[in-house]
Amino acid sequence: MAALGARRLLRPGRRWFSETVPGAPSPPTSPLYPPVVASVTAKSKAAKSRRLQRFNQRVHAAATVEEKLRLYGKLQRPKYTVYPQTFALNADRWYRSFTKTVLVPGMPPRAAAAKPPVAAAGTTSEPGRAPEPGAEAPGAAEAPGAAEAPEVAKTVEPAGGAAPCLDMGELRSLACDALLQESFYQKKKRPFLYHDQDHTPGPFLTQLVSTLAALLSGRNPLLAASSLDLNPEVNYYWHHGEEVVVHGHRKGRVDPVRFQIDDSPHLQIRVPKQLPEVVPLESDLGDVPVIDHKPSKLPLFKKQYENKVFIGSKVADPCCYGHTQFHLLPDKLKRERFIRERIEDQIEVVYRSNGIASLFAWTAAQAMYQGFWSEADVTRPFVSQAVVTDGKYFAFFCYQLNTLALTAQTIKNNPRKNICWGTDSKPLYDVVEDGNVKGFNDEVLLQLVRFLLNRPKEL
Amino acid sequence: LFPGVRQAQWLTKTKLVEGLPPAVQGIMDNPALGLQELEERAKHAVSHARLWDTAQVAPRREQYCPVLFENLIHICRLMSGKYPSLSKRMLARNCRIAATWERESILLQVRGLSGILMNSMTPIPPVASKEEILATKEHVLETFYPIAPTIDLQEVNVYKELNDRGFRDGYPYSHPHTLFFLESANVRTDRFRPEQLRAKMLMFAFGNALAKAKALHGDDPKVLEQPVVVQSVGTDGQLFQFMVFQLNTTDLVSNDGIKNLVWIDSDQNLYEKAQCVPEVKKRVVTKPAGISGFQPDTFKKFLALYLHGTV
Repeated sequence: MAALGARRLLRPGRRWFSETVPGAPSPPTSPLYPPVVASVTAKSKAAKSRRLQRFNQRVHAAATVEEKLRLYGKLQRPKYTVYPQTFALNADRWYRSFTKTVLVPGMPPRAAAAKPPVAAAGTTSEPGRAPEPGAEAPGAAEAPGAAEAPEVAKTVEPAGGAAPCLDMGELRSLACDALLQESFYQKKKRPFLYHDQDHTPGPFLTQLVSTLAALLSGRNPLLAASSLDLNPEVNYYWHHGEEVVVHGHRKGRVDPVRFQIDDSPHLQIRVPKQLPEVVPLESDLGDVPVIDHKPSKLPLFKKQYENKVFIGSKVADPCCYGHTQFHLLPDKLKRERFIRERIEDQIEVVYRSNGIASLFAWTAAQAMYQGFWSEADVTRPFVSQAVVTDGKYFAFFCYQLNTLALTAQTIKNNPRKNICWGTDSKPLYDVVEDGNVKGFNDEVLLQLVRFLLNRPKEL
Repeated sequence: LFPGVRQAQWLTKTKLVEGLPPAVQGIMDNPALGLQELEERAKHAVSHARLWDTAQVAPRREQYCPVLFENLIHICRLMSGKYPSLSKRMLARNCRIAATWERESILLQVRGLSGILMNSMTPIPPVASKEEILATKEHVLETFYPIAPTIDLQEVNVYKELNDRGFRDGYPYSHPHTLFFLESANVRTDRFRPEQLRAKMLMFAFGNALAKAKALHGDDPKVLEQPVVVQSVGTDGQLFQFMVFQLNTTDLVSNDGIKNLVWIDSDQNLYEKAQCVPEVKKRVVTKPAGISGFQPDTFKKFLALYLHGTV
């Protein structure tokens, strides 16, 4: 509008100065009039996109990460609270669609260097084979512990100068001791109603992880610099998709769908250096499920409260990358309940949804702590691991965050997908009787040890 | 328990020695431990517990006291990469202890949840030499005439004289090593004063040692050839009290004879102040955010008490 008006004024002026040389006078170096852009306050789509751009510029220009996080979550509106530990049916499909995650069954193929040589059985220790980690690599997408080297072990000497072998016997006795102490030896009162998990499996998990981490810190220097949190808080807030506001004074407007995860894992290990990427950033290992319904059909409910992004400690902490989380399933989601209600297939869904949601929240919050957000997508993948257990059954998950751009505008040209590797739940032991642990499963322990020993290639 | 340390001494027939025993001092001064880089980690641990642990501005004492303790224990446990025998330890939370003894015809007992206990497979070697133990014979216990020594103790009808360590037989980690007490109530009146905390530490350490001694040597009161040593650490998040208790005798009825020994190092500050938000007066930052006045010696003592017995 302003430009047309200006031209109309200019025309009579040109008739005035018609005697002057029609050669172009020296053009002004800067434009005479401000650029023509949409208004900021109008109720129009152009104005809305202009407001969005201004907001994005403000966040981009924020000086510190705390300021960026504050601006990112400044506007409070009703949002869906996503619970990682949920009884909703088929929740893991929904969560995968919310977070654009591909689920790959089994464990990721480990790089040869990261595999610790584990004891071969006494008779078959061929010196040329034992220290060859490449030969023992479990291969892609196999169940945990399904290695060629048999795991039923005592110590063995590696031929050549490889790192000393893990003593499975020692690790097994440590795990059994922790289990027996909590369940048998220590005299405790009877568990409070519906608080079974706090009575035995909770302390057992804490003991097991802390002693194993301490024991393995000699091999893994990353663990030696790690920080262990008990019952930390992990929060993440993001937008994904669009919807029309249904009722209220904002009815009819197109709004992004907001989600918030508030999670509290039982135990969490944070490290100062990032775990290495498992597959390259742009890899495509599967499909993300597309769900045509509104998220509230899951069921998922909306609430409006503070938009928090938190990994377990503030930005100033040097241990700002995540290593492993340990989740304990509550009494409400125990296996017997699912079996009683004849929905046994949902047992694995519980583990998977917990793994996917918690790990997405953690890795995404770590990425935000490094300054990335949905408009400034990650330039390197963020990898974290998790173990979900109910005290006896363990399921292992590894998550690689490749993209944070999940909003309606940024997801259009984004081919990247986040990837989650997960296993089914396997029991660690069969039963504890009279001071003995019966049916101890070494594979599960070995997978746990492998998780704890994961470290960047430089170390 | 509200008695002061002097009363607790009388009740447990103990002689007090100021400062930590020379064995622990020796561990502290040992340069092979690499305590310098651990200081950095300890400082991070304190900052994490006091400043960074919460999404709010500042964590409350109920939150930061246990977190600080867990962080310090985590650093100590990671030393087992260097000393593999440290892995023969187990932490037990909420363990119940019960010990009964007679003291000049008054039956006393210690019962209840004794905080966090660390057990180990091997006992701590006795800290005092034989001469020192014999020298305690001459020591006279203080009495507080006219106040009866059992003032402020709860009088209870007991039907079973129980001596219970809190664990069943056959427990592999059978020797109590260190007791940890965390005073983490938010309100100051709910917390124990340092003097009372020391007394509580003494009573529980004595209870644990006595129960262990009776389990090992039977119920008859006698002088122990192998004294039982139990350590104890109490804190409210900033002040630390360290204690090493050595039980020399279970013969507690009479007032003379060999006494037990306790070494107490009290009121060690780990840091002076933890500023969550920088204090600004008239647009000038007077106190920057962070931990000020960090004392590495306190952490060294903590670590030395942890490593005592295996190093």
